[in-house]
Amino acid sequence: MDGPVLFGVRHLSPAAAFQLERALEECRPQLVLVEGPSDLNDQMHWLCHPETRFPAAILAYTSEPPVRTILYPLAVYSPELRAVLWAHAHGVECRFMDLPSGAMLALEEAGEDREEPEENTEWVYRQLEQRTGEEHDTFWERSFEQLEDWRAFQAAVNTFGEQLRRTARDGKFRTAKTLVREAYMKRVIGEAVEAGVPPERIFCVCGAFHVPGLRENQPMTDEELAALPRADCTATLMPYSYYRLSSRSGYGAGNRAPAYFELLWDALHQGGPGDLPSLYLTRLAAAHRKAGNLVSSAEVIEALRLARALCALRGSRYPVLADLRDGAVAAMGHGNFSELAVAAADTEIGTKVGFIPEGVSRTSVQEDFYRQLRELRLEKYRGMEQQQLDLDLRERLNVKDPKAALLDLRRSRFLHRLRVLGIRFAAPLPSRQQGANWGEYWALRWTPEAEIEVVEASLLGDTVEGAAAFALKERGEACSSIAQAAAVFQDAFLCGMPAAARHALKVLQSLAVDAAALTDVADTAVRLSLVVRYGDLHRFDPAPVVPLLQQLFLRACLTLEDACRCDAKAAPAVTAAMDQLNRLQLDHDCLDGERWLELLGRVSDRDDLNTLCSGFAMAALLERGEADEALLAREISRRLSPGVPAELGAGWFEGLASKNRCALIARLSLWRHLDDYLSALDEGQFRRALVFLRRAFSGFTPAEKSDIAENLGEIWGVNREQAAEALMGELTQSEQEALKGLEDFDFDDI
Amino acid sequence: MAEQNVQRLPAEELYRRELEALMAAEQDPIPTGWRMSPRSVLTYIMGGEKVKGVEITPKYMGSRRLVEIAIATLVTDRALLLIGEPGTAKSWLSEHLAAAVNGDSTKVIQGTAGTTEEQIRYSWNYAMLIARGPSPEAMVKSPVYRAMETGSIARLEEISRCASEVQDALISILSEKRLSVPELGLEVPAVKGFSVIATANTRDKGVNDMSAALKRRFNIVVLPTPTDLATELEIVRTRVEQLSAGMDLNARQPGEDTVEKVVTIFRELRAGATLDGKQKLKTTTGVLSTAEAISLLANSMALAGSFGSGTVTAEDLAAALQGAVVKDEEKDRLAWKEYLENVMKKRGSGWLPLYRACRELEP
Repeated sequence: MDGPVLFGVRHLSPAAAFQLERALEECRPQLVLVEGPSDLNDQMHWLCHPETRFPAAILAYTSEPPVRTILYPLAVYSPELRAVLWAHAHGVECRFMDLPSGAMLALEEAGEDREEPEENTEWVYRQLEQRTGEEHDTFWERSFEQLEDWRAFQAAVNTFGEQLRRTARDGKFRTAKTLVREAYMKRVIGEAVEAGVPPERIFCVCGAFHVPGLRENQPMTDEELAALPRADCTATLMPYSYYRLSSRSGYGAGNRAPAYFELLWDALHQGGPGDLPSLYLTRLAAAHRKAGNLVSSAEVIEALRLARALCALRGSRYPVLADLRDGAVAAMGHGNFSELAVAAADTEIGTKVGFIPEGVSRTSVQEDFYRQLRELRLEKYRGMEQQQLDLDLRERLNVKDPKAALLDLRRSRFLHRLRVLGIRFAAPLPSRQQGANWGEYWALRWTPEAEIEVVEASLLGDTVEGAAAFALKERGEACSSIAQAAAVFQDAFLCGMPAAARHALKVLQSLAVDAAALTDVADTAVRLSLVVRYGDLHRFDPAPVVPLLQQLFLRACLTLEDACRCDAKAAPAVTAAMDQLNRLQLDHDCLDGERWLELLGRVSDRDDLNTLCSGFAMAALLERGEADEALLAREISRRLSPGVPAELGAGWFEGLASKNRCALIARLSLWRHLDDYLSALDEGQFRRALVFLRRAFSGFTPAEKSDIAENLGEIWGVNREQAAEALMGELTQSEQEALKGLEDFDFDDI
Repeated sequence: MAEQNVQRLPAEELYRRELEALMAAEQDPIPTGWRMSPRSVLTYIMGGEKVKGVEITPKYMGSRRLVEIAIATLVTDRALLLIGEPGTAKSWLSEHLAAAVNGDSTKVIQGTAGTTEEQIRYSWNYAMLIARGPSPEAMVKSPVYRAMETGSIARLEEISRCASEVQDALISILSEKRLSVPELGLEVPAVKGFSVIATANTRDKGVNDMSAALKRRFNIVVLPTPTDLATELEIVRTRVEQLSAGMDLNARQPGEDTVEKVVTIFRELRAGATLDGKQKLKTTTGVLSTAEAISLLANSMALAGSFGSGTVTAEDLAAALQGAVVKDEEKDRLAWKEYLENVMKKRGSGWLPLYRACRELEP
């Protein structure tokens, strides 16, 4: 062999890691070069530190906002990591050989938004998927992870890389980036050779895709090196989690089943890939049992047999994850994957979280946190003593700099994001404003725990905003009621994060389908309405909220009539919802007014609904000028005609009286009818009616009550003076007794 | 054979040429008792390139993987249970599997409330039994019995319609793989290749729920409703064409556009979400299966042909749609109304006539 050994790998592939170790053992190189940013060689000793636990990630991020990051996640079975660890254990020199992270970040930035032609690398993957009828990951596992000889593996993987390179038509920019990186790697190899390492004793670990490039391309010249763009950046090692590894898709960035691949890695070291199926299935069965289900060993055996038959149909030696899973679903899960979902998540993803020795991490979230603290002039609040901060969210018109003009709004968003992340630095205080919401009050206090919580947030994202977005998304997905989803939405709104808000909205929409309770729907609609109306203040575009608001309103309209068929206990809640909806409709032109008025008319007309609701509907119509004098007169005489039971008549009146009282007081005919109705009631009925009436009048002001009294006086032919005289006079014996009799009266409400 | 007079031929007769071509071209190992390799069975079901000049038509339009699981189950001589909504081609798939594996799809027991244990095991020709006493000649073997003797596949339709004691009779057969005839002192062992394909309907859940013991003896494959719009459109279009040709409906084929609308509405209400997945919807109590969409279209064609202009109009469709979606429950009416307002109304001018026609029917 004349040149350096080029060992093509797939990132996060156990077989590649395993074969790589064997190849290293056999080649015994003098220098190991690994695809990874060459300025991060100093991170290597932390990778080999005895306290470090994987998964971990090397993170490089720009020092200036907007923060851009590149992340190299490493699991125990990452070939790159194995190469580094092997070199460390054998005292062989090891270096990273890819572009420095600054150059990589700068290239990444330049490459953003560049259009990619259709036939890019992903397109080739899709084509392969169509041909094989399997997902790319499955195809890879079936074709490569089961090869048992390292030379065969190397040949297969290098061929795959070569063919992929030949078939894919990546965009100009992406191709150029690949070439620049390869030229740089080639230069690093050249430098090593110049330094006296025999070429055949150099061992390069790189993506299989790069192998042909490293073989054929020219090394980078000095001028080219000088011309590389650079971005200011920092790099650190951070703990990673299997969960996060599995939630990121795409080549190199993630791995859908990290725990499963760790099993494969273990199996390769123990008895070969043939052990994996039984290992996986027994674990799956154990996890399924732990979740409270019954699984017999016979079923596990059948699942294994089925998986074997499936892999034979596909022509692979051992079952792959897809076969095992399908086998388990048919034999253990009664044909439904959902039955096994919890156990599968446990077995395939797992909960492993990495660990980095203390003091090593300086993550981009921490960096971002402190930078924002500075920018938003909040540093002085970073003390152990609690301080209060009052914010005025309105734009300051006397300040020219647009950033400064909205300083308080930006502070508010930042603090809300911290709150969402559970970083206990700032706690909101209740608002002291009434009828306005541009003021916010916060209590700020720094604790050592808060620092830890900031580091923990780095597991969720690269910046405070990114982490908050992830946290909101997770919370959104866990929602089970529209109230919860509305709260998430409100948080996203307060954090000023439209994408997260849209996601929460989507969750809300899907939950709203099943939420039948009218009051919940109305409450949620009101919350959304606030956002639509005050979105401006928070610089939030309410457009996506409107359709949902319309939907909720429609849902409420469709269920309202049924909801009105309720007992006296539930009726107040229904009328409250009706009131909310009525106001919503008045506030928003986008809500179907015609439908609403028609509905109010029906509720008001129908005799079989709770009369409180009917009365309220009448009141709403009256208030909106949709009911004329004649209709009101007709309704009053119909609802309050003698013979109508007290709870119905008085209940209706209570509903009617809960709105536009001035107009009611001015209508003498109403009081005459009420008077006639009450006089016609017998003793027991009257007592019942009293409960409703008392409640109806309890909301009236003293002035209104005296106006009513005057009305009644006019009806009864008693003037003000006469009444005063009668009331000021001593109580007669019979009157006192009558009052005493009332003491035991149950007013039902207090 | 006078094939023309038979209303419906079994699969192995209907597709004899394809089966023979596949067998002649066989290259892979064949399991004991099978007529062709599992891979050829897969090709027969899913369709494929010409084999020996014979085109292999697709019999099942749907997930290839599920068919693979079904075939692999039969390879491991486990019993196979196909579960699905009505109209998801369970029996169809079971028939073709048996036809391909054994060249005989006729060993069938139709599960009903009246199915007895004898029909699963064996019964007697009573005249002969009384005349000559118990003898092998007097025995009437069930399809399962015959399948065990010959090492082939027995089919059991709608297993969850059978009473539970009948279902239990299967347990011993499936676990012991032998059947005893105490009257004759016989023990009939199942010959290699014996298996059972059963089907069950998800809508029958709760009628005669299968016991855990019985379920454990099956590998279960759940057949989904067609996975995407294109597949379902294809199925509906082909079937409507076949139906209208056979039944003189005197109406023009409903346009591409109409079929798409019906299938879209069915799919969305069935899945409880719009096709783009952006909006969740209330589901209805009705099944809204592909088969129903087919008959809905055929009915509107019959309506248009007999009483209308011969072209299916929005009004014909609206009435049929409402009938299919709104069964007799309040919940359905609500779901349908919401669907009209939230989805159909906002779909643009193409949907407007249908929306108006549907809206008009609303009280």
